Amino acid sequence: MDQSVAIILAIFLPFIFAILVPYVEKIFKHRIGWYASFTALLTFILIATAAPSIIAGKTIQYSVKWLPSVGVDFGIYVDGLSLLIAFLASGIAIMIMAYSNEYMSHKEDLAAYYKYILLFMGSMIGMVFSANTIQLFIFWELTSITSFLLIGYWKHKPQSVYGAKKSLILSSGCGGLVMFVGFLLLRSITGTFDIPTIISDPSMINTIQGHELFVITLVFIFIGAAAKSAQGPFYIWLPNAMEAPTPVSAFLHSATMVKAGLYLVARVHPIFSGTEAWLILVAGTGMITMIGAGFLALRQTDIKGLLAYSTISQLAYIMTMYGYTTYQEPGIGVAAATFHLLNHATFKATLFLMVGIVAHEAATRDIRKLGGLRREMPLTFIIATIGALAMAGVPPLNGFLSKEMFYESSVMMGNNLGAPYTFIIPAVAVLGGVLTFAYSIKIIDGIFLGKRQDDHLPKKIHDPSAIMLAPTAALAFLVVLFGVFPSIPVNLIIEPAVAGILLDTVSLNVKLWHGLTPELFMTVITFVLGILLYTKYDDIARWQDRFNVRHPGISINYYYDKIVGNATYNAGRFSGKFQVGPIKYYIIPILLLAILSILVPVTLLSLEMFPVTLNFEIPPYELIVFLLIIITALLAAILPSYLPAVIAVSAMGFLVGIVFIFLLAPDLAITQILVETLTTIIFVLVIAKVPQTFKENITKRILLRDILISVTVASTVFIIMLYASQGIIPPFESVSHYFLEKSVLLTGGHNVVNVILVDFRSFDTLGEIAVIFLAALGVYNLIHSRGERK
Amino acid sequence: MTTLITRTITKICVPLCVFFSISLLLTGHDKPGGGFIGGVMFAASISLLYISFGLEDSKKYFNPDWSRYFSIGLLLATLAGLGSVFAGYKFLRSAFTFVNIPLIGELEISSAIVFDIGVYLVVIGGLLFIFKKVGDDQ
Repeated sequence: MDQSVAIILAIFLPFIFAILVPYVEKIFKHRIGWYASFTALLTFILIATAAPSIIAGKTIQYSVKWLPSVGVDFGIYVDGLSLLIAFLASGIAIMIMAYSNEYMSHKEDLAAYYKYILLFMGSMIGMVFSANTIQLFIFWELTSITSFLLIGYWKHKPQSVYGAKKSLILSSGCGGLVMFVGFLLLRSITGTFDIPTIISDPSMINTIQGHELFVITLVFIFIGAAAKSAQGPFYIWLPNAMEAPTPVSAFLHSATMVKAGLYLVARVHPIFSGTEAWLILVAGTGMITMIGAGFLALRQTDIKGLLAYSTISQLAYIMTMYGYTTYQEPGIGVAAATFHLLNHATFKATLFLMVGIVAHEAATRDIRKLGGLRREMPLTFIIATIGALAMAGVPPLNGFLSKEMFYESSVMMGNNLGAPYTFIIPAVAVLGGVLTFAYSIKIIDGIFLGKRQDDHLPKKIHDPSAIMLAPTAALAFLVVLFGVFPSIPVNLIIEPAVAGILLDTVSLNVKLWHGLTPELFMTVITFVLGILLYTKYDDIARWQDRFNVRHPGISINYYYDKIVGNATYNAGRFSGKFQVGPIKYYIIPILLLAILSILVPVTLLSLEMFPVTLNFEIPPYELIVFLLIIITALLAAILPSYLPAVIAVSAMGFLVGIVFIFLLAPDLAITQILVETLTTIIFVLVIAKVPQTFKENITKRILLRDILISVTVASTVFIIMLYASQGIIPPFESVSHYFLEKSVLLTGGHNVVNVILVDFRSFDTLGEIAVIFLAALGVYNLIHSRGERK
Repeated sequence: MTTLITRTITKICVPLCVFFSISLLLTGHDKPGGGFIGGVMFAASISLLYISFGLEDSKKYFNPDWSRYFSIGLLLATLAGLGSVFAGYKFLRSAFTFVNIPLIGELEISSAIVFDIGVYLVVIGGLLFIFKKVGDDQ
């Protein structure tokens, strides 16, 4: 119980601290980053309290009823897998936000920046600890929204806005919603939203795998994962997401958020794996993306763009390995994937932060303008080398280990599938490795080696201050540490995570030197071919350029832009038909619909119920008031300008107030008269600013139509009133008796009108005051937007 | 802008109206009144003040930010509802009791008054915010 409290706190702490950011900023000013970093540290510690029992092989589960009517609880489920991602999210956040203290200019809107990052961190942690699919979906979409806000952080840049929209449309719109449908399908098969219940029950998994909706459920859920992790055709949002500030790219778009898709794949692994569909979909998408993105990464000239494509490619590695499990002992692929997931987060975050440093000091990220910085920035050079070589898979760094495991599982996969895959799968794996090696070299060579391009670079470039360097170096240190002593991460994090995915204890043996295996041989080939590829790189780039010019239609971006452009254009045309402007044309359909929804049921309920006796005994003094009401109503309709018409309308309102007094309804009378007073004043204030006469040119046809509508509406209301005046027709019963009887008994109040408002129907009242709230905001915006347009 | 008579009457009327609006709010559960009516009453009296003395002049002496009122009101009404949730009942469930106060007699006290104060503040804030915005934009 107390451990679950720590986890629940870890989920909500970032949210609460994020809300406090604007207030804390007033105290901390531009040092607010330390506050955010401290929040991340606190969260990290809270999560770490759960680690010992997870490493011991237990899980933590806790749930409270949330929406019992639909079977959704608020629940947490902590196992090795969720712990791994939560550690990444909070741990890397500490460094990212410390780094941002120096990186972000003090003139920026820092409160918004740290608020969004903290909100993201909370959403990410909430997502991984979610015990049911609905809760997972909600936090999943929250990560998309915070990512959207962070990509679009520099609102004035059109490229940021474009990238933000694209990421939201693809990862949340095309991915998240489809995934949600997948979750609903899963629920229709299993009857539950609860993840632990499904994954821990073998008979339920058998049911799912034998179900006719199995493949479609898998496809839908996988689309969500692929869109989030920028796999397959969805990859196009990630390069545009690089418009975000670099620390954000390091955090969201390489280390954590894009891992959410992989997390989901690993989470549903027990449910779907072991089938052909899983292999083809997950491993197939992964392999294609791995090669495609690796190829595209090579031709990037912006280092951040290069890292974006390399992230896509590296995520594809992991995806592929999760997909392998159908035809091999599941432990190997999953372990390799999970280990690479951790390693990639460390070395890619290192690289991103390094790029941030270079861009900050050299004022450019263009690889054509950079070069020869190794003497001026020796420390950055060392860090970059560590990160890039880890990515390339060079021993003794951590990337080497997981790449070896990738090769190992590929070889095994090929053998199990038999010819011709015995050769094809390892060859594809090596090709992925070769591309990775080549672009990793390009990073080092492009920035630090070669000749300094004096024309493009500032005169003096130097290593950054410790605030930026230390977090980067800390991450680089982890890269080396995990590489040299792999047993540390493997025992502490990877084994529990793999156990969480496979629901079985595993024992891994990861060593730097594991003999003369086929994998080692493949690694040597990779290095040789990688160097060859990099030396021939210029020719390939030329070929790629020619290809792109010749086939513009092959780009997915081309179709994305076309679809979004068309959708925007058509939506504009469509709503232009309805949003015509004059308020009259908004009221007409509302009234007509109201009439339809009343007249049709009334006619259907048969006219038998129609009142036979009409009681028209009205005292003369009331009759005068009614006559006056009719006269003022007619005047309001025919008077030629606004002011007299408004006066007529308000006169009518006051007369109605008098009617309420006749009916002995003081509440209604007071309300009516007061509201009438206020609306009249506001009307007059508004009228003072608009032309005094009606603008519209009223032709006979329009007049006829308006009269027809008015008469229909009026007669409908009249009919309803007639029904109402007959009292309640059996078998229906009046509700008012209940209120009159129970008012004092249940609430102690004698004024039934007020009792209904604040007791019996207080939820409705809450809705109504929310409407007043929104109306006030609406008026504010209307008046302000008008001012802006001037 | 307005006559001396209007301004003098306003000076007398507005405090009376404000007290009346508060009494409407407090006694609303038992007698005619309630948060909504009380709020509209309050808004009407303040708008009388604004009209008689002019928005610009009254701003010098009396210039609350009405948007706070409706924000706080909505928050209060929601919290009033959540209060019963934390006490283990359903959302917005109210409790009441009767107390005997010497000289005044038996009084009903209901927790619904908190909700009603929320309604009161939202109505005041919303109406006067709109009023001021529309009137301000000369």
